[in-house]
Amino acid sequence: MKKSDDIPTIDYKQIFEHSPAAKLIIAVDAPVYTILDVNRAYLMRTNSTREDLLGKSVFNVFPASPDDGISENIALTIDSFERAIQTKEPHTMYDYRYDIPVRGSDKFEERYWTTTNTPLLDEHENVKCLIHSPVNTTAIHKMEERAQERLFSILMQAPVGIGIFMGPEFRVELVNPPLCELYGTSPEEMFGRPVFDVLKHAKGMGFEELLENVRITGETYIGESVSVPIVRKGALEEVYVNFVYEPFRENDGSISGVIAVATEVTEEVRIRMKLKEAEERTRLAISATGLGTFDLNYQTNELVTSTVFSEIYGFQRQATRDEYLKVVHPDDLYIHQLAHKHALESGRLQYELRLVWADKSIRWIRVEGKVIFEAGQASRLLGTVLDITDQVEAKKEQQKLIKLVSDSEELLRNITSAVPTGLWMADSDGSVTYINQTWIEWTGQPYEAHLGRGWINVMVKEDRRHIASSLLQAARSKTVFEVEFRFLHVDGKIHWAVASGSPQYNEDGGFTGYIGALVDITDLKHLQQQKDDFIGIASHELKTPVTSIKAYTQVLERMMLKNGHGKDAELIRKLDSQVNRLTKLIEDLLDVTKLNSGKLQFNDRNFDFNDLVRELLEDLQRTTESHILISELAPTVTVFGDRERIGQVLTNLITNAIKYSPKSNQIIVRSTIVCNEIQLSVKDFGIGIPKANLGRVFEQFYRVSGDMQHTFPGLGLGLYITAEIIKREHGRIWVTSQEGKGSTFCFSLPLIKENT
Amino acid sequence: MHKAKKIIVADDDPAILDAIRLMLEFEGYDVECFPNGNGLLDMAKEAADLLLLDIWMSGTDGRDLCQQLKQQESTRDIPVIMISASHDIKSSALAAGADDFLAKPFDITELLDKIEKNIATN
Repeated sequence: MKKSDDIPTIDYKQIFEHSPAAKLIIAVDAPVYTILDVNRAYLMRTNSTREDLLGKSVFNVFPASPDDGISENIALTIDSFERAIQTKEPHTMYDYRYDIPVRGSDKFEERYWTTTNTPLLDEHENVKCLIHSPVNTTAIHKMEERAQERLFSILMQAPVGIGIFMGPEFRVELVNPPLCELYGTSPEEMFGRPVFDVLKHAKGMGFEELLENVRITGETYIGESVSVPIVRKGALEEVYVNFVYEPFRENDGSISGVIAVATEVTEEVRIRMKLKEAEERTRLAISATGLGTFDLNYQTNELVTSTVFSEIYGFQRQATRDEYLKVVHPDDLYIHQLAHKHALESGRLQYELRLVWADKSIRWIRVEGKVIFEAGQASRLLGTVLDITDQVEAKKEQQKLIKLVSDSEELLRNITSAVPTGLWMADSDGSVTYINQTWIEWTGQPYEAHLGRGWINVMVKEDRRHIASSLLQAARSKTVFEVEFRFLHVDGKIHWAVASGSPQYNEDGGFTGYIGALVDITDLKHLQQQKDDFIGIASHELKTPVTSIKAYTQVLERMMLKNGHGKDAELIRKLDSQVNRLTKLIEDLLDVTKLNSGKLQFNDRNFDFNDLVRELLEDLQRTTESHILISELAPTVTVFGDRERIGQVLTNLITNAIKYSPKSNQIIVRSTIVCNEIQLSVKDFGIGIPKANLGRVFEQFYRVSGDMQHTFPGLGLGLYITAEIIKREHGRIWVTSQEGKGSTFCFSLPLIKENT
Repeated sequence: MHKAKKIIVADDDPAILDAIRLMLEFEGYDVECFPNGNGLLDMAKEAADLLLLDIWMSGTDGRDLCQQLKQQESTRDIPVIMISASHDIKSSALAAGADDFLAKPFDITELLDKIEKNIATN
């Protein structure tokens, strides 16, 4: 190590002199600020010599350049000196202009500096001088300036409007031609002025607030298709603008203003609106088959209408709005007014009203429309009109019909409720689908209780199976249906009713079920019972005198024969045969009565069929001289049945055969055995039966109406009783006949009798 | 000549009683007539060859009488023919013990045949 005295003495004055940083020592003798010292670097930077500067006021040797009207470099520098002196701390001025005089001329060189003024303190902490050390930043500054100029030139030439608005007043820092064009101004009008001082008409519409918000918060604001009022060529116009407000930041990041980027989209918006309008109009036009269309301008109250529109209103040509309104039915004007008022709120127009044409005819129209809004203002109303007179008429007619139908339905309902007859309907399965009020009232059962198969429950148990099978069978064969049954009436008594039904068919001929009636025949049944009782008693009572008459007659006949009064006896015999006829009539009456009341008794047992036939044929042959009874019998069989009733049948058939064949002389009785049945036929050669009456001969009270020469007495009960007996003996009875040629009555009886 | 057979006839109709009496007496029978059942049983006990009973008599049912007759030892063997206006009665008459049945109005020959047949059987 070297000793301290080995270290050469450092000449600091020499270091100052040769420092590459420019330095000036300035006295604190404001306002002069005398230059106390200067180094070589400073002299070089300022094109000065030591003699130029030493001992002189800094502001004298570096006066303000007449070219520099804006930088106020002298004041700025004095301010910096003062700050450094006052604070006793270095003070730096950044990138400021301070031009340097060209020595020996009155010219200046433009220079930019960043300079620090450092105070030097004495032992009393007083500032004894200032070290003024400038750094030449001209080159950098010029570069920056060029860059900024380039940027500005780019901004100025940009095809979108760009403006920079500084400070709280939004002074125009920059505005490019497109933005000026958008604003309808010139750059000269705007530069350096608060933007809303220029664009007065845009004041108070919220733009200030938007800008202020961006300036304060730094948040970007994007506006799309915003309507902006602009004065162009002296006229206020509405334009649409897309714009962005962005914060304008300084180098240190602070926000000093707002950059606005804006493009006018008025044309696009208009086109879009027109497109929408066109679409709307097209839509209306498409649905305008027979539609009149109209276009009402709210601003001008001008109404453009289509030909169809005019025609609907009864005009040959396009008319004015007032003319159209005059056609509106005076009573319907309020509808028009209300609808239009409502349309302004809802955007939709819809109403129907009447027009009165010039010829006084009334037309109904339906108007529909849509309000077009521009900038929140209703600008136009596009719509259609349709003549709906026919529709309204049709609707009225329909309503009339509905009224008629409902009237007739009500009438029908009233009738069905009022008739003293139950009414019913059933579907094709025999399931009941309807029952009227009368039947509900008779049975005391609610409507639902009768539906389906429920109706059966009101009937007395013994009759249910019978009636159910009757209906089902009828439904299967689609035949007319009639059955009597008993039911429990709401009065607590058992009533008799007859149910009848007719098969129903739809238009295509398909079977749909039954419609029928239910008649309370209780009274009828009682009357019938009374009649039956009466006839029963009457016949019985008649028999008593007939019995004595017959007895007397026969005694008398015998007496006369004994006493040789043969001729008188013959008379009495005739009397007896008349008594026999009377007896037969009484018997028939009694039998019918019993049949109808179900009281005819049958004493079924096994008997020999041929025995019975032969016995009866012998007896009957004795009663007739006019006819020969011919028998052709199959080998005998045993039949289970009431011998006397079956004998009665045979007797009836043979006596009828004799009675109705007065001009012939034989009756053929033939028996055959066919498939477990004995069949017996009685064939005559008499008057026969007309085809039309064939089906009725077995009915009660059917009588043969002969011609004038031949009348056939009788009550019309014989064949009815005969048929009923055969039916109850589980046999069949039928007849074939040819009018004028004779008839063949047949009956069959089963050989294997069911044990019922 | 053997003694005439005695026939007791009961019917509530006087005309029938009268006619039957005429008829039977004409044929040589001894006839005793009753308008109802009163005293009939006693008479039958004494002497009767046959009874002819109507079924419906006011106050008496011929079938009850018949049953009583058939239950009494003394009258059990006397044949009973029942007469009725109704054919349907026949089976119940036979059930009551009647030997035969005849429906009104009857033929005289038929009645006499039945009487002869039943007396002969007895």
